[in-house]
Amino acid sequence: MILGLAIVLSLSVSALLLHWQDKPARDALVILFQGAFGSWHALEDCTIKAVPIFLCSLGVAVAFRLQVWNIGAEGQFAMGAIGATWVVLQFPQWPAFLLLPAMMAAAALGGGFCGLIPALLKVRLRANEIIVSLMLNYVCILFLEYLVYGPWKDPVSFGFPMTMVFPPAAIVGAIGSSRLNWGLVLALACAVGFWIFFRFSRLGYELKVCGESPRVAGYARLPYHGLVIAVMVTGGALAGWAGFLEVSATLNRLQPSIMVGYGYTAIVVAWLARLSPASIAAASLLLAGLRVGVENLQLEMQVPAAFGGIMEGVLLLTVLAGGFFVRYRVRWRGFS
Amino acid sequence: MRKGCLLLGMIFLVWMVGAGGAGAADEALKVGFIYVSPVGDAGWSYAHEQARLAVEALEGVRTAFVEDVREGPDSERVMRNMARKGYDLIFATSYGYMDSMLKVAGEFPDTVFMHCSGYKLAPNMGNYFGRIYQARYLSGMAAGAMTRGGQIGYVAAFPIPEVIRGINAFTIGVRAVNPKATVRVVWTKTWYDPATEKEAAKSLLDVGCDVIAQHQDSPGPQEAAQERGAYSVGYNTDMSAFAPRAHLTAAVWNWAPFYLEVVESVRNGTWKSTAAWPGMEKGIVGLAPFGPMVPESVKTRIEQEKARLINGETRVFAGPIKDQQGNLKIAAGETASDEALLGMTWLVEGVVGTTE
Amino acid sequence: MTAELLLPLLAAAVQTGTPILYATLGEILTERAGVLNLGVEGIMMVGALAAYVTALATGHAGLGFAAGAGCGALLAAVHAQVCVGFRGNQVVSGLALTILGTGLANYLGTPYIGQSIPGFQRTALPLLDQIPILGPVFFRQDPLVYLSYLAPVFVWVALKRTTWGLNLRAAGEAPEAVTAAGLSFARLRWSAVVLGGLLMGCGGAYLSLAYTHLWSTGLVAGRGWIAVALVIFAFWHPGRAVLGAYLFGGVMAFQFRLQALGTHLPSSLLLMLPYLLTIFVLVAASVRRRGQAPPAALGVNHEPPD
Repeated sequence: MILGLAIVLSLSVSALLLHWQDKPARDALVILFQGAFGSWHALEDCTIKAVPIFLCSLGVAVAFRLQVWNIGAEGQFAMGAIGATWVVLQFPQWPAFLLLPAMMAAAALGGGFCGLIPALLKVRLRANEIIVSLMLNYVCILFLEYLVYGPWKDPVSFGFPMTMVFPPAAIVGAIGSSRLNWGLVLALACAVGFWIFFRFSRLGYELKVCGESPRVAGYARLPYHGLVIAVMVTGGALAGWAGFLEVSATLNRLQPSIMVGYGYTAIVVAWLARLSPASIAAASLLLAGLRVGVENLQLEMQVPAAFGGIMEGVLLLTVLAGGFFVRYRVRWRGFS
Repeated sequence: MRKGCLLLGMIFLVWMVGAGGAGAADEALKVGFIYVSPVGDAGWSYAHEQARLAVEALEGVRTAFVEDVREGPDSERVMRNMARKGYDLIFATSYGYMDSMLKVAGEFPDTVFMHCSGYKLAPNMGNYFGRIYQARYLSGMAAGAMTRGGQIGYVAAFPIPEVIRGINAFTIGVRAVNPKATVRVVWTKTWYDPATEKEAAKSLLDVGCDVIAQHQDSPGPQEAAQERGAYSVGYNTDMSAFAPRAHLTAAVWNWAPFYLEVVESVRNGTWKSTAAWPGMEKGIVGLAPFGPMVPESVKTRIEQEKARLINGETRVFAGPIKDQQGNLKIAAGETASDEALLGMTWLVEGVVGTTE
Repeated sequence: MTAELLLPLLAAAVQTGTPILYATLGEILTERAGVLNLGVEGIMMVGALAAYVTALATGHAGLGFAAGAGCGALLAAVHAQVCVGFRGNQVVSGLALTILGTGLANYLGTPYIGQSIPGFQRTALPLLDQIPILGPVFFRQDPLVYLSYLAPVFVWVALKRTTWGLNLRAAGEAPEAVTAAGLSFARLRWSAVVLGGLLMGCGGAYLSLAYTHLWSTGLVAGRGWIAVALVIFAFWHPGRAVLGAYLFGGVMAFQFRLQALGTHLPSSLLLMLPYLLTIFVLVAASVRRRGQAPPAALGVNHEPPD
């Protein structure tokens, strides 16, 4: 409801801006929509872009359930990519049935480790997890840069910062003749697992209780500290898988340009979606669609790339503001 | 409240439905450009954009660009969309687009793809670059003639062969007129961060350099030179507006003649997949006008050398050329091959700095 | 390294650190009131553009600076309204602000790229610049650097020596207590966020008016995020923010000078140090003293009892 209104409002603001620049606003929005969802190809592109956002976002959402603020998905994504790449560089001759699981494990370890640090510091030393996970983002990205500029640089890349191209065994393939890759299936499996976990498992229930009130959790003797560590490591592993898919399925090598802020987008998505897997998927698609659609808008109307940022920002701020009016609808009359 | 929202949504939908479809198909040749940074940056992408405008002005040609496209999946998607939309010719202007372009070129055999600064080819994909190092060599001569202390600073982006080649050519130019001068290199690991690049230039000025050259897209180093009363050599476009009292000259790109030629060849069906590496003779690279501080004698000498480069009497990388350790890399009487130039990872004698 | 090189290095550390210092102080003020503002990067971008455009149009760098600060405050007011007024999520609002601010500045700033303004120039302070060592490092800078020497003092006095500051810190530590004392919790947080945004806008303005004298996309280049990190390094203390900002500026300036002298260290690893140091400081302080913990209600929206 609110999301709908927010979309309309941000579209209106964008239309105004376009009109101001003497661009036909209405056609522009149609082009934007066509570019994002208007054809099978567009949907495919959107889905490909949405998968890493979705996985990171799922990871962030698990922690948010417990009211733990993991804003380190960006760094966990980087560490996942680094972990997967490490396996490829160490064992390039392994067959796919060994290599791919090993890459997934390494990615989960990398991302999970990156999630473990803020979790441990939080439960042991009461260090603020928002801050530690944010700091780790910088460290992990710089570490990735160090690796691709230094020891992992491909000797035949003309000195450009990138690793060698992965052997075919290390590449997650496409589904049939489409451009979608099996990463989509991984993402869906994670989503189903997430849903079942929170719907049916005891631990999932405990998480929800703890998230709603740590004090109640204390009375019920729920292992709050253990849960914090568990959600942060799980979240890190999911973001790590997103990093693994990005290097293995879409880029086929590690290079710094994989860091495009999916980890931050994921926070926005997790929050927009109110933490349920189906709506996380929808919100990931929406934001991916906005970014893909803006490219189409650039191509057809030469609207600057920065335009997408404005739309996204207005959209989010409207949703944030709108949430208030939903929660406090009773008071609405009092304001006017 | 809820009703109000619904109503608003409805009005909006109705308004949207009334919109016409996107541009009708026509017979014009459609040319697409993909840039790695926003076009307004006065640097690399801006130089390409100037050439796109020249192409746009042609009769029967329509162009469009997408800016700020990340290397990797994003660039692949943009190329594929352009090809799907019936673009006949697509220029991608960053090294990192190479593998994506090769992939997409395989899927769209009827579209011509042109990749800038890489080395891979396909039946419908060519690559191109310009011998900017020739212009750098000439600008190095200006710097070598104008330095007082014999130390020249060079603010460089990333240690890749393209940049290293530029530093070497510049240094050879400097030492052609001033054999004792040295060139100090600082790597910023940025292409476009004006504040950082200015800081890097200041660090060079602090250690005694009195001319600053750059392989960066921002005019930050130019400003730094002007503030300290030093001289500067620009890159990409004429940067004299940013530092009129410092700007000696600049190694500039002029892509328009090359792009027009490619567009014409695609239009009349004579296009072939080649690795094009034109130089000064085609006008793709050149020198910006000299600043008023450059004496006539220096100008004349550089103009003469330019003429000799154009008619092939002289080459920039002609032996004997030694590396930093004093090992002979190019023997007397030999010139470096294009392969050697494309993969250049060593610095010539006279450069202070590393390639890490 | 000789004194001849050391003094310019220190002076460069001060100049490089100044935009980060302004932004860090702004974030400290904001976070002390319990509001996390991750929109620093976006606010600095808008501040830089507003300052530049105003200076270009009016020819007065001072007016430009005021405009940069004002627009920073304006954008921060959006954050304040969303987080404090509408009790929206602070992390999301901050990220949205970064996206929006960067987008707006790049979109509106396109026509201004490639022009240069005189802006603020280096002017030595008479007498003070004659002091050995301190003079060349601190007093041969531009006016905005001098102003930035006053900013931490201002923030410190405001936080520690005024009733407003006391209440503000209470809003960051124990919101219930503020409400119980009959104070307007919302107004306190509002004022902190807006004032903080003003300082962040100053940081942006410094980049376009004094540091480079030009506008370009990506002018801020991650300095806003560095400021967010430095707040933690500084442990929410304005004095330590000065140290942190200059240290960070110093690392940048130092690694360039090392290169210029012909030596080399991997810069990625060098640039990692401040962040690792920050985590270390955070951990060490958490172990040692509870009193130095971050504001207890940081990032938490207070729901007034109905």
